[in-house]
Amino acid sequence: MSKVWTIYRKELLDILRDRRTIISMVVIPIVLFPAMTIGFSALVSMQLKKSQAEIQKISVDGAENFPELLDRLEKAKELEVAPSTDYRLAITQKKLSAAIVIPDSADLKIQSGDSAEIDVYFDAAEVKSEFAKDKVLKILSEFADSIIAKRLETLGAKPEMLRPLPIKSHNIASEEKMSGFVLAIFLPYMIIILTMIGATYPAIDLTAGEKERGTLETILASPASRFDIAAGKFLTIFTASIITALLSVTSLTATIGLGIASFAEMGQSPIAFRMQPLAFVVLVILMIPVSCLFSSVLMTISLFAKSYKEAQSYITPAMFVVILPAMVSFIPGVELDFKLSIVPIVNVSLVAKEALMGNFRWGYLVSVFLSTALLASIAVFVAKRQFEREEVLFRI
Amino acid sequence: MIRAEAITKLFHDKKRGEIVAVNKLSFACKSGMILGVLGLNGAGKTTALRILATLLKPSSGTAFINNIDVVKYPDKAKAQIGFISSDTGLYRRLTPREIVGYFGELYGISRQESAIRLKEYSEILGMDDFLDTKVDKLSTGQKQKVSITRTMLHNPPILIMDEPTAGLDIVASAHIVELIRRAKSQNRAIIFSTHIMHEAQRLCDEILIIHNGMATRNGTIEKLRMETGIEDLDQIFLDSVGDLD
Repeated sequence: MSKVWTIYRKELLDILRDRRTIISMVVIPIVLFPAMTIGFSALVSMQLKKSQAEIQKISVDGAENFPELLDRLEKAKELEVAPSTDYRLAITQKKLSAAIVIPDSADLKIQSGDSAEIDVYFDAAEVKSEFAKDKVLKILSEFADSIIAKRLETLGAKPEMLRPLPIKSHNIASEEKMSGFVLAIFLPYMIIILTMIGATYPAIDLTAGEKERGTLETILASPASRFDIAAGKFLTIFTASIITALLSVTSLTATIGLGIASFAEMGQSPIAFRMQPLAFVVLVILMIPVSCLFSSVLMTISLFAKSYKEAQSYITPAMFVVILPAMVSFIPGVELDFKLSIVPIVNVSLVAKEALMGNFRWGYLVSVFLSTALLASIAVFVAKRQFEREEVLFRI
Repeated sequence: MIRAEAITKLFHDKKRGEIVAVNKLSFACKSGMILGVLGLNGAGKTTALRILATLLKPSSGTAFINNIDVVKYPDKAKAQIGFISSDTGLYRRLTPREIVGYFGELYGISRQESAIRLKEYSEILGMDDFLDTKVDKLSTGQKQKVSITRTMLHNPPILIMDEPTAGLDIVASAHIVELIRRAKSQNRAIIFSTHIMHEAQRLCDEILIIHNGMATRNGTIEKLRMETGIEDLDQIFLDSVGDLD
């Protein structure tokens, strides 16, 4: 075992001096996520605020048919009523945000207790236009409510007559569940992929990279056994992978937390961020067999290659094999059951999603952990066997 | 003492089928002796030397390194061997001192002892200036000096060198030749392969010519001259290779 430890320490020192490994293992999880999440959300909310605060131009066609409505629209602070001959074209050209068409003698119809259909034109693909539509609809709805109130008053009835069952919905999800829900969709996928990426560069560098540089032959000729070498290398790749996983979980949790908090401040989301510490622990424990699995599989694939480039071309398709099942957390309605709990990657993605939402089904957690650990053990065994195969080591 | 007993190595190739890389090859190299292995590219030299260095397992036959069977006890045999080839590289992100310390640990040499030996070799080969510089930044010659130190660190009684001078400039080659001479004077058994006939002629006590995985000639240069009636080693080699074609 002392030789394994010697090899492990040396390999770790070696990869920690490799820029590519440091970038994928430390820099990406720490820097990219805050930059991506906070930067993106800040940009979005900035744009949202800007669009909401902006005064939107609308046109009112047939304004003379309902002066009272025109008056309401003109009084709205965020709207500016502008004349337009071709409102459809003006909306397309972004000269107008929305347009309202009032039918002939609308005011007379309303006075006589009838209804008048109002058309609102907007461009759903444009955020500004969407906002303008919402504002217009709000004004129209308030106006309609005032008409109803007046009519009821005339009839001597109360407005409650029309709303015999006022409905108020209450969200009973805990804060953890709500914050977890947002995280849960996104986080499992990102952690799985990053854990794999964290293992990729060291796996290539310590196998195919060493073949290319001739150092594999040097170590094979030393008194270290093939097992010592395989174990030392595997532990190094595993360390890189688990560090990436830990940093990713921590960084993403903190980042998304801050992102949600900043949204909450801006009044965009009622969710205050909190994640159960247990979810963090469960995720970290889950990532141990996942890292083991990735490390051994990537080591085996890379060992087969003769050069760094060749290894990269083998690993790219392997990435897709992981990406697709990892994306299962994005699909709404896919629930963890016993069958899915033994499907590699899919199980981790789903169980991580549940844990993040504050839902710990221990039976499934154990099943996912054990099935992944079993698969990882097989992969470690295969990797060790590859180190004993001359045709793989020397590509004879 | 190195002793190969009818070592054979078969490789399976999908396109070409079974390939006999080494065919019942037997030879010996005593302590204090240099055995030169000559052969064309693909003759089986590298495979034979890799078997001796325990990197490859023979399909049949075996070899003994100081009476240790390389097939049965590869890890014990490796401790007796210093192996260097044109393919044995150095860790480019580590310094010579770190590399020597690493291999010292693997060979079970204490840190103090490793440091003493590194100092000795550093004085002989003039490495003081770059002991703490990353290998990446070293010249080919400087790297070769580190490789030599790495090979000799555990005082191996057996040296196996596969084309150690291939691709080296004249100064770096001279270091290797000097190392081989020193090793001989220290009563080590040395086996090395080369393409350079005059190098073999100057250094070797015995020559082994391999062709198509088989030994076509084996003995002192004098013996080969007697057998072939040819004076020049180049011509003896061509004759030995041509005989079978």
